[in-house]
Amino acid sequence: MLDALDKGLLKAVADLEDIPEGAYNIRKNGRLLSRATSANINIESNEEGTGIMVTIAPGTVKESVHIPVILSQAGLYDVVYNTFIVGAASDVTIIAGCGIHCGGPAPEGHEGIHEFRVGKGARVKYIEKHYATGPGSGKRTLNPTTKVFLAENAQAEMELTQIGGVDDANRLNEATLGPGSMLLITERVMTDGDQKAVSRNEIVLAGDNSRSNMVSRSVIKGNSRQNFYATMVARAKCFGHIECDAIIMDNGANETIPALKAEHPDAELSHEASIGKIAGDQLTKLMSLGLTYEETVNRIIQGFLR
Amino acid sequence: MLELKDLYFSVTETDGTNGGRKRDIIDGLNFTFEPGKFYAITGPNGSGKTTLAKLIMGINPVSAGAIRFKGRDITGLTITERAKAGIAYSFQQPARFKGITFRDLLSMATGIEEEAKLLDLLRRVGICSLSFLDKAVDAKLSGGEIKKIELATTIARNPKLAIYDEPDTGIDLWTIGPMVNLLKREQTEHRTTTIVISHNRAFLKAADVVLMVNRGKFAYVGNLDGALPMLTDLSICNFKPCREGEEDARCFR
Repeated sequence: MLDALDKGLLKAVADLEDIPEGAYNIRKNGRLLSRATSANINIESNEEGTGIMVTIAPGTVKESVHIPVILSQAGLYDVVYNTFIVGAASDVTIIAGCGIHCGGPAPEGHEGIHEFRVGKGARVKYIEKHYATGPGSGKRTLNPTTKVFLAENAQAEMELTQIGGVDDANRLNEATLGPGSMLLITERVMTDGDQKAVSRNEIVLAGDNSRSNMVSRSVIKGNSRQNFYATMVARAKCFGHIECDAIIMDNGANETIPALKAEHPDAELSHEASIGKIAGDQLTKLMSLGLTYEETVNRIIQGFLR
Repeated sequence: MLELKDLYFSVTETDGTNGGRKRDIIDGLNFTFEPGKFYAITGPNGSGKTTLAKLIMGINPVSAGAIRFKGRDITGLTITERAKAGIAYSFQQPARFKGITFRDLLSMATGIEEEAKLLDLLRRVGICSLSFLDKAVDAKLSGGEIKKIELATTIARNPKLAIYDEPDTGIDLWTIGPMVNLLKREQTEHRTTTIVISHNRAFLKAADVVLMVNRGKFAYVGNLDGALPMLTDLSICNFKPCREGEEDARCFR
């Protein structure tokens, strides 16, 4: 059912060697390829037929859901709307990701909108990897959107990674945090050649004692360009921090704009942003351990994006 | 072992009335370091100690003259090539990274990834806490911790020549003694030719030869006792009070 190409893409985006254990939904070229549910995790197509609804029963602990998407059909632009209802007091991991294999001159793309409704006291870890490959010259586009709603004392940790080969990416992350909730986002993006990536983030700290930390790590090689925008809006006594670092190489260009908006007197918001080449002292140190210049650059970037 | 021949490092002055004039930071040094000996380099701030060390490692380019290491001219070699030839360097202000751990640095320094062998290395450098291995070498480390890591990665290279630029900066008083002993042990057990830049008497005492640098030249070469009169002579220091009308007066406040 999975050919060698599919397996390669699945390995890259979901770290899967084959069909996973537990609940999963694999989408290939705009259609359902394979699906499994578990006692606590239900997956069904939504009423509009535009995507899936994943429902995690309250109290579900230590379970995971895999929902990878693979594309290898020339000219296809796949749009999907997925909703995740994470029941109260559950603790689950959701592994998403999109792999594109482009074999010809026609463009291929995927637009995934993921909405998370995380119940009271629930914890969810969301891991998303985007990757494109193949010998074709067609433009590979990935435009992901995440919308997160955290109920009281809910926690979400999101790891969003674009590892390579994506020509054009427009990302939008939106989140609204209820009382006592916490959101951690780590975004890692590497671009090369003439690729472009834009990330927009809007985090609203709406509930008392809500907390959020957004970390962005960008590596911009070749003639590529990345723009990063993050806004934290505080509407309650809360804590928010944005940390965005970009390493530019070759002719890479970057625009980084973190923004903080306090609409409550007890808001505590901070940000740090930096753009620059790899620091000279880091290069010198690793070369003094016997690594060549190229090996040194690779190790520093691997660490930075880890 | 290591020969410095008519070694110069020059910069062009950019400020003040001396703008455009060439200045020799290292001013025609000639010296031969013997294999397996322990050398301490000391001297006032700005005298050229770190510059000399960086010339040996290839971090600064030589302006004129030559450096020979084990009979081979290494003047034109890169940092990587010198490292592979057997020279290791401990930085005064070690680099901090993002996402790189002490374990990563040790593996890069040695090519070893096996846990047991890494633990042997930790024992050799006197680090008892195993949790230290997975510490991120980032901005959160204290000044003392990062210096210990720096020292460990230098020793892990098993160098023929080890250069330590002020290894005691940020190290607490209780750790300096063991640190001196560690470098002495490396010298005796592994015949490591050792060069330590320091102002600390513990290192000067441990050295077979004390080299005092002033204005890019060796002002003294010999044992510590012979150096004491110069070490206590304040006139050698370039820290002078500013006086009105003095053209080259500089304040170090």
